[in-house]
Amino acid sequence: MPLRRPEFEQAWERLSTWLRDPARAAITVGLAAALLAPAFPGVRSSTLNILAGVAAIAIAALGLDVLVGRTGQLSLAHAAFAGVGAFATIGVGGRGAPWPLALLAGVIATALVATIAGLPALRIRGLQVAIVTLALQLAAEKFVYPDDDLTGASLALDRPALLSSPKALYFFAIACVAGVLVLRRRLGVTRGGRALLAVRDIELRATAFGVEPAAAKLGAYTLSGAITGLAGAILAFKESPGAISDTSPFALLQSLLLVAIVVVGGAGSGAGIVLAALFLNGVPQIFTGFGRDAPLLSALLLVAAVVLQPAGVGGFLTAISQRLRRRAGERPDPRPRLVDLGAADASAAALRDVPRGLSLRMPAPALLEATDVSVRYGGVTALVDVSLEVRTGEIVGLIGANGAGKSTFFNAASGFAPTTGSIRYRNVELLEQPAARRTSFGLARTFQDMGLVRAETVRENVLLAQTWLAKYPAAAGLLALGATLSTERDLRRRADAALELFGLDHLAEERLGDLPYGTMRIVEIASAVAAGPDLLLLDEATAGLGPEESQALGDRFLALREELGLTLVVIEHHVPLIARVCDWCYCLESGALIADGRPNEVTADARVIESFLGRSAAATGGRKR
Amino acid sequence: MAELITGLSSGAAYALMAVGVVLVFRCTRALSIAQGEIGAFGFFLGLRWADRGIPLLGWHPPRFATLLIAVVVGGLIGFVVERLVMRPLVRRPPLDALIATLGIALFLALLELRLFGTATQFAPSAVGEWKIELFGATLVASRVIGIVLAAAVAGALYVFFTRTKFGLAVQATTGDPTVARLLGVPVNQVYRFAWVSAGMLSGVAAALLGPSFGGLTPFGQTEFALRALAGSVIGGLDSVSGAIIGSLIVGVVEAYGKAHAGPGVDSLLVLGLVLVTLLVRPKGLFGATAAA
Repeated sequence: MPLRRPEFEQAWERLSTWLRDPARAAITVGLAAALLAPAFPGVRSSTLNILAGVAAIAIAALGLDVLVGRTGQLSLAHAAFAGVGAFATIGVGGRGAPWPLALLAGVIATALVATIAGLPALRIRGLQVAIVTLALQLAAEKFVYPDDDLTGASLALDRPALLSSPKALYFFAIACVAGVLVLRRRLGVTRGGRALLAVRDIELRATAFGVEPAAAKLGAYTLSGAITGLAGAILAFKESPGAISDTSPFALLQSLLLVAIVVVGGAGSGAGIVLAALFLNGVPQIFTGFGRDAPLLSALLLVAAVVLQPAGVGGFLTAISQRLRRRAGERPDPRPRLVDLGAADASAAALRDVPRGLSLRMPAPALLEATDVSVRYGGVTALVDVSLEVRTGEIVGLIGANGAGKSTFFNAASGFAPTTGSIRYRNVELLEQPAARRTSFGLARTFQDMGLVRAETVRENVLLAQTWLAKYPAAAGLLALGATLSTERDLRRRADAALELFGLDHLAEERLGDLPYGTMRIVEIASAVAAGPDLLLLDEATAGLGPEESQALGDRFLALREELGLTLVVIEHHVPLIARVCDWCYCLESGALIADGRPNEVTADARVIESFLGRSAAATGGRKR
Repeated sequence: MAELITGLSSGAAYALMAVGVVLVFRCTRALSIAQGEIGAFGFFLGLRWADRGIPLLGWHPPRFATLLIAVVVGGLIGFVVERLVMRPLVRRPPLDALIATLGIALFLALLELRLFGTATQFAPSAVGEWKIELFGATLVASRVIGIVLAAAVAGALYVFFTRTKFGLAVQATTGDPTVARLLGVPVNQVYRFAWVSAGMLSGVAAALLGPSFGGLTPFGQTEFALRALAGSVIGGLDSVSGAIIGSLIVGVVEAYGKAHAGPGVDSLLVLGLVLVTLLVRPKGLFGATAAA
């Protein structure tokens, strides 16, 4: 039966949208070419052997990039890590264990070593990590490599029957590359990968989403090590039968070449890195004509890439993708759409019913009750004995001049400041709880200067804010085990509902940093709402917004209370907005509370006018009369 | 005692390189991994020319001139690197600059490999073959000169930073390049100064290290540079005196490790020293700011 036209067109439509992402297209075409390669005339088995080695190098580079792209840290010891993988594979396989076990040993041993090597990275950063890993690489070369007992050079690894021919080894290596690419993709769409981006770009604020920075970082080292260990195991099988006598694939030079592959390929871009590995490592080995000059070319390309094209090949792929989308007329209006709040019931419903880290039945006179809260940084006192309360369903305004301690109070409540006194939320003492836990109690906040990842899309950021709702373990997420897929589907639905509620749905795929500042602020509020809080702390939500947008935001505050039953504390400078939406208002001066009451009372208070509104406001009032 | 003397003399040689690392870091906030290879390339050229004559001229420079060639070529490479590679990176994240210097080290080392092969280059001392005995340690000429030069460079830099107008300009640039530029500090000249003098110091270090450490190999100087990096991290990346003291510590620890423990233990000790310093005092012993 011939294919019916609409079905055919539908399938073609799907395929062409899927392939419109050049990175995906490159991977698809590349994989097809790789699978067909052995059938090409003139491809000898020696070429396949070389290509298997190139695949191993590509895998090691992909492993290194888990660190570079996701955590922004540079390791100069990844060739040594690959060495650990190879040595462990030989050490286990050479003693008669079946080959899958030997491979697993290589992967696990390297993951362990890399995790230990990652421990210092919890305290030190950037350049320091690079120095330490450089020292580690050299220490491994001097201490481990010459020792035949440690490297297994005295053992002989049998070639597994399954991988006996170059063609079999080649297909195995290609399958491993594909597997690692899938793993990296899984990392990108699950909580583990999102947590890493947050730790990379906004480390100190990531805990507000329930992210544990230390665990996330160590996890990145473990994963990076496991992938690189796989590369080492493949290299060990490639040299079998026999032992690895030449340690040059694991020497400093190779570590530097791995960095070159990642930088030229583009940090974070799997397709770019595989292409770079093929070009920098494979081409010179296959076309031996310019063989001796090839590494020199790698070094030159590395320098040129850093200076001229820091995003590497992956950057080109992204640029092409953007151009294609622009041509398709998909450049959306960067401002939020106007939403008919009455009609947004469905979105609001999707955001309710979030499980809580504590029982909602506990009787409490106030939702949030702060008593004698003080914050001191060394000798500087930012907040002195502030006591205030927020009742369920209220919108409470927090006003005061710059430096009065408004944001400090938010920092105290969300666990970002050294605090004394007591802040009770639903009768639970927040100051005894770790910052990452407080989100799960139903507390969400925004930051005055943005606590989101600008390099990511709007939707990714909203998903990141829901990290505490993603209950599956990060490792299970990588393998799509357990409740991962259904949880992620729910989170996506919630994210889309939140975006719709704020009129941002048409911007979901835009890079956050490309949007106007005012829109970014709305995205941050939408993210906080998506985290499913009962109490939302908004720090200068209207900063950077025009008068009409501020007005609309005020309506949205009221709607959030109405539709989602949220309680809000807002730090605001815009007095008319406070007067319109707030039920109660507190004014701070130099870290101390100077007034509280209904908004019109507080803004009429002489001390408040003196401290916050200033003489000019009083003068304006005078002119009106 | 003999280990102490040998250690101090290697430490002095590392210090010559470490001072270059600190100069570049102080002036440009870039951490240079290429500090070893820049001068090594110059010294390789010097050795080659002393052996085969300078191309086109056919003149065989005398032995001590290999040191001068290393210094001049090192300075030139520093100049080119600053102009073409490092200046466009000034406003970029510090890791980009580190990767760029790594690429430069890779390029120079591979070029050495291409031109001179993998064999260890026998490096005759540029400063003569005499030696002295001190507390049971034998110090060859290049080591003695290394100690003297390290002390001289330290003194000169101290005077430069505290007594000269340009030295103060360097200090200002470090504080805040934008403000310094607005105040009329010739910021680009400061960057150029840092890289050219670091390149020259690297040349001196290579000419002295090569002979006293049994010849030159491509990438060999990157290993020495790591020791110098370790020294400057321990002493403080923005402190000249700190880098010198740190390098001396590295030299001594390494000498004891070599003498009393198995092979390779010295590099483990260096790793341990760097780690402990960064974890306990990330600024280093005498530094004001930590590298980030």
